[in-house]
Amino acid sequence: MRDIVIAGYARSPFHLAGKGALARVRPDDLAAQVIRGLVDRTGVDAADIEDIIVGCAFPEGEQGLNVARLIGLLADLPLSVGGMTVNRFCGSSMSAIHIAMGQIEIGAGEAFIAAGVESMSRVPMSGFNPLPNPALAAKSAAYLGMGDTAENVATKYQITRVQQEAFAVSSQKKAAAAREGGKLVDEIVPITTKAGTVSEDGTLRPETTAEGLAGLKPAFDQNGSVTAGTSSPLTDGASAVLVTSEDYARAHNLPILARIKAVAVSGCAPEIMGIGPVEATRKALKRGGVDVGQLDVVELNEAFASQALACMHDLGIDESKVNLDGGGIAIGHPLGATGARIVGKAASLLKREGGKYAIATQCIGGGQGIATLLEAAE
Amino acid sequence: MSEPIKKVCVIGAGTMGAGIAAQVANAGVPVLLLDIVRDEQDRSSVARGAVEKMLKTEPAPFMGKGAARLVETGNIDDDLAKVAECDWIVEAIVERLDLKQALYAKLEAVRRPGTAISSNTSTIPLADLTGGRSEAFTRDFLITHFFNPPRYMRLIEIVAGPQSDPALVASVEDFVDRKLGKSIVAAKDSPGFIANRLGIFWIQAAMNAAFDQGLTVEEADAIGGRPMGVPKTGVFGLVDLIGIDLMPHLMQSMTRTLTTGDAYLEIARDHPLVGKMIEGGYTGRKGKGGFYRVNRELDKRREAIDLTTGDYREMAKAIGPSGAAAKGDIGALISAPGKTGAYAWAVLGPTLSYAASLVPQAADTIVAIDDAMKLGYNWKWGPFELIDKIGAARLAERYRAEGKAVPALIEMAGDRSFYRIEEGKRQYLGLDGGYHDIVRREGILLLEDIKRTSQPLVKTGSAALWDVGDGVAALEFTGKMNALDGEVMKAVQKAIPIVQKGFKALVIYNEGSNFSAGANLGLAMFAVNIAAWGEIEKLVEGGQKALKALKYAPFPVVAAPFGMALGGGCEFVLNADAAQVHSETYMGLVETGVGLIPGWGGCGEMLDRWRSNPALPKGPIPAVAKTFETVSVATVSRSAAEAREHGFLRPSDGITMNRDRLLADAKARALAMVEGYEAPKPPEFRLPGPSGRAALKLAADAMHKRGLATDYDLVVADDLAQVLTGGDADWIDTVTEADLLKLERKAFMARIHDPRTMARIEQMLETGKPLRN
Repeated sequence: MRDIVIAGYARSPFHLAGKGALARVRPDDLAAQVIRGLVDRTGVDAADIEDIIVGCAFPEGEQGLNVARLIGLLADLPLSVGGMTVNRFCGSSMSAIHIAMGQIEIGAGEAFIAAGVESMSRVPMSGFNPLPNPALAAKSAAYLGMGDTAENVATKYQITRVQQEAFAVSSQKKAAAAREGGKLVDEIVPITTKAGTVSEDGTLRPETTAEGLAGLKPAFDQNGSVTAGTSSPLTDGASAVLVTSEDYARAHNLPILARIKAVAVSGCAPEIMGIGPVEATRKALKRGGVDVGQLDVVELNEAFASQALACMHDLGIDESKVNLDGGGIAIGHPLGATGARIVGKAASLLKREGGKYAIATQCIGGGQGIATLLEAAE
Repeated sequence: MSEPIKKVCVIGAGTMGAGIAAQVANAGVPVLLLDIVRDEQDRSSVARGAVEKMLKTEPAPFMGKGAARLVETGNIDDDLAKVAECDWIVEAIVERLDLKQALYAKLEAVRRPGTAISSNTSTIPLADLTGGRSEAFTRDFLITHFFNPPRYMRLIEIVAGPQSDPALVASVEDFVDRKLGKSIVAAKDSPGFIANRLGIFWIQAAMNAAFDQGLTVEEADAIGGRPMGVPKTGVFGLVDLIGIDLMPHLMQSMTRTLTTGDAYLEIARDHPLVGKMIEGGYTGRKGKGGFYRVNRELDKRREAIDLTTGDYREMAKAIGPSGAAAKGDIGALISAPGKTGAYAWAVLGPTLSYAASLVPQAADTIVAIDDAMKLGYNWKWGPFELIDKIGAARLAERYRAEGKAVPALIEMAGDRSFYRIEEGKRQYLGLDGGYHDIVRREGILLLEDIKRTSQPLVKTGSAALWDVGDGVAALEFTGKMNALDGEVMKAVQKAIPIVQKGFKALVIYNEGSNFSAGANLGLAMFAVNIAAWGEIEKLVEGGQKALKALKYAPFPVVAAPFGMALGGGCEFVLNADAAQVHSETYMGLVETGVGLIPGWGGCGEMLDRWRSNPALPKGPIPAVAKTFETVSVATVSRSAAEAREHGFLRPSDGITMNRDRLLADAKARALAMVEGYEAPKPPEFRLPGPSGRAALKLAADAMHKRGLATDYDLVVADDLAQVLTGGDADWIDTVTEADLLKLERKAFMARIHDPRTMARIEQMLETGKPLRN
C-alpha cells in the first residue's frame, strides 16, 4: 500500500441559502474559485493533477451536467486535468477523497483534487423534479425528510431537547471563538461576487443562547424536539482538498496536513440515517487498527444535534475532542461540500493541535455513514 | 385636462399618509413618502418605518409584493426638492393649521408650478389652509379627504375652492377615480365635510339614546345595525373599531368648528362611562377591550359592557326587530312597539333631520349625502333613501306631531319621494324642486342601470343574460350569495347559442356583494342526505360541460370577478378566455376546506397556468407541485395582484381599480379580442403519475407532522394529488383535458361519499368556518 496524504485544504465562506451573500453566485463559479485558491495556496503544479472529483448531492441545474469538468475549465486548470462528479448525498465529497485515494493506490495518478459544492439557494434540496419510486416510498423510509430522521434518532436514543440545545449553543460558541481567534482565515478562500468580495462565514450566530433556542417551535414535528436552532442551516458553499501520494507531496514540498489511514462506508436504516457515522467509524477504526480512545481530533458533521449526540454516545467519544472550531449547526452544511470540509478540517486540526489520530465522519440521507481516519504525518 | 399624474408625493407618513401612498403604489404609480426627521443618524426613519410597519399590518395596505417597492421614502428636510418630480402632492400631516401652512410655504418654493397640491385634512377649512399663499398656489390647491384605511374605503370627499383650477381638479379626480379606484363625492368647504359630519352626529345620537333609554349595547346594535341597513357592528361595535379614545377628539373638533344653532351642538355630550373606559385603556379593539371584548381569561368568552355599571358581562343575544321592521321597512321599524321603535326613532329621527339640513350647506345634492354615507360608513341605504322608505310626508308629520322643526328639504318634498325612476333613469329631487337624472362619471357602466331599462335575454333560477351594449352580453349570477347550481349551468348552455347568434362576446359579471362564493353547498348536502348520487355526479359533469362550453365557444368570454371568487366561482374565471379583475378580488380554489376537490375543471386550468409560468423550472413536477401547494391548502388571494402571484390569473389578465368601472373594462377587453378570435385548443399534458403522487404525499406528510394538516386533510390531498399527477399516467404519455376532468369527477365523488366531508360541509353551512377534522 502506498501512503496517501491530504496536502492542502480550502473552502469558501459558508452562507445561508436564499438570503446569504453567496445566493447569487453560481455553484460552478463558487467551486472553481475555491479550487483555484487551493492550487495557488499549495503551490502544486496544476499540470500534475490527474483529475478533479467533485461531490454534489443534487447535481442538476447550475451544478448539473458533469459539473466537475466545467469547474476545472472555469478554474483555468490545464486541459489535461480530468473531471468527475460523484453523488453520495452529504457524503459526496468525502467519497471524492476516497475515490482519489483508490485511484492513487491502483497507480492511476499521483495528485487529485477532491472537492464538493452545493448551492442550496439555487438548486433546492430534493432537486427540481423529485420523483420517488412509489413502491419503495410505500414500504420504506428511503425518502423520509431529514428532519424526521433527526426526530426518530432523538426518540430512539432519548436525546432531550435541552441536550440538543446545549450542544447547539456549544457549537456556536466554538465557531465564534475560532473566528474571533482568526483560526478560520487560512482555510477560507475569499469569493468574488457581483456585490463584492466575501471572505467570512455568514452562517454563525454567536448570540445564540439556550434560552433563545428554548423558545423556538419544533421545525418538523409539532410534538418533536428538533428545531431550526438544533439543525444545520441550508447553506451555500464549496470545499476542496488536495489528495496526493506521500511520495509526490514530499518530492514537491507540499504542505502535508495528515496521512489517510483508513476509510469506510456503512449503510443503516433510512429512518435513523443520523446514526450512520457509528458503524462507518467503527469500520474505519478497525481497519486502521486504532481504538476510539486514541483519537485526538473528531470532526463529526452536525446535520442535527440529536444525531451528533447519539453518535458520540454510541461510539464513546469524548465531546471535548469533537468539532473544535464548531460544527455544521454553526458553520453550515452545504450538502455536497461538507465531506471535504470535515476531512480537510480534521487534517488541519491534527496538525494544529499536534495529535496522532483524527477521524472525520458524517451521516447520509437514505441511511448511510462514511468515515475517514487520519494520522499525523510528522 | 392637465397632464396625467405619473408620480405622486405624500407628505406625512402617519396611518393616513402611509395608507394613501400604499394605494398609489397599488395602482402601479411611483410615490415619494416624506415625513419629519426624528433620528439625526437615520434621517428618513419615520417614513421608512411607516412602510415597514405597513408590510406587517392586517388588513394589508399593500396589494402585492411589487407595490411596496414603488414607495420611495425620505424626509422633509433633505428631500422636499424632489416634489418637483411629482405631479400631485398630498399633504397628510398632523391636523394643525400652523404646521400645514408652514409646510405649504416651503412647498411653494420647490414645487413645479401647475402641480396639484391637496390636503387630506378632515377638519380644517380650505380657505384657512391657503391663507397667505400665492394666487398660483391657491389655484392648484384642493382637499382630497380619504377614509381609513385608504385601500379599503371606497369614499373620497373632494373639496375644490372657489379659485381652484377646474382642469387640475378634474385631473386629480380622474386619477383618484381610475387609478386609486375611489368613488368621488363632491363636498363643500364646511366643517367635517359630509360623511364624518353626519356620521359623528349619528354615532352621538345612537349612543345618547342607548344611555337614555337604558338599552344594553347588544340591544342597541341589534336595532341600530342590520335593520337600519347599517353594518352589523351597529354603533357600539363601530366605535370599538374606530377607537373609543378618538370620540372626544372628534366631538371637540366638531363643536369647535360648527356654528351656533347647529343641531349637533345640542346633542354633543360626554358620557362618564366613555371617559372612564379611555382612562382605563379600554379604547376598543386596539386596547384592552371596548363596549365588546373577548375575555381570554374566560376561554375567549365574548363579553359586553354594562352601560350602567361599567362592568363586563357575558354577551347576550339581543332580540332585534321582527317582521317587516327587520326586513328593511324603516317606517315599520320606527313605529315598532316597545324598545325597538323607541330606539330606532331616537336614532333616525334626529339623524335624518340633520341629513336634510346638510343640503346645500355641506353638499349640493342629496345624492352626495347618500353616497358619502353608503361609501364612507357602509350604510346600505343613504339617509334620503331611508326617508323614502318611511315617506317624506309621514316623517314630516311625525316631526310636527312631536313639536320638532321640519327641515326645509323634507317640507319641500311634500308627498313626493327623493328618488324616482323615470323612463328607466333614476332621478333625484333637487333643491329647485325638480327631478334630475343621476349622472354617472364618464365611462362608468353599471348593470344596475342597464337592468332598469331592459329585459333579460335568458333567465333561470340562478342566472340571467343581459345585453350590455356594443354587441356584448353579460352573464349574471342571481342566486343567494351568487351560489352556483344547475340553474346557472342551464343559463350558460342557453346563453351560448344566443351570444353566438346575436353578439360578439360575453362577459361574466354581476353586482352582488361578491362575484360568487362557489357551488351551492346546501344543495349538495341535501342531495347527499337523500343519497341522490346520480344527481350529484350530473351536477359535477354538467358544470364541467358548461364551463368548457364557455371556454371553447366561438366568441371571447371574459370573466370579471370582484370580492370573493371562490371554488366554483374561481373556476368560472379559470375557464374564461381572459379575466378583467377588480383589484379587491379574493380568489381561490377552496374546495379542500370542505373536504372536496375542484370539480369544474379548476385542476387542469391551474396546471395549464403554472406550466406556462416562465418562473418555474421545467420537468414533470414543478407545475404539479405548485398547483398542489396552492389548492391543497385552499389558498385565497387577498387582492388581484396576489391572485396573479398564486397563478389564478394569467399575466395578460387585466386589473381594474374602480369597482364601478369593472363592467366597462371587461367589455372593452372582450371587444378587443373579437377580431380574428379563435377558441383555444384543448391543452394536453405530460404528467408524472404515481411517482409524482408519491412526491406530493411526502410533502403532505411533512405538513401533517408539523401539525399543519389534519388526518383527513391527507386523504383529501391525496385525492387531489391523484388528479394533478394524471392518475395512472406515465410521464411519456399524453394526458388530455378530458382525462383530467374524468379524474376530477372520480375524486370529487369519492370525497363527497365520505362522512368527514359531510361534517365539513355541515359546519361551513352552519358557522361559515371550516371544520378541521
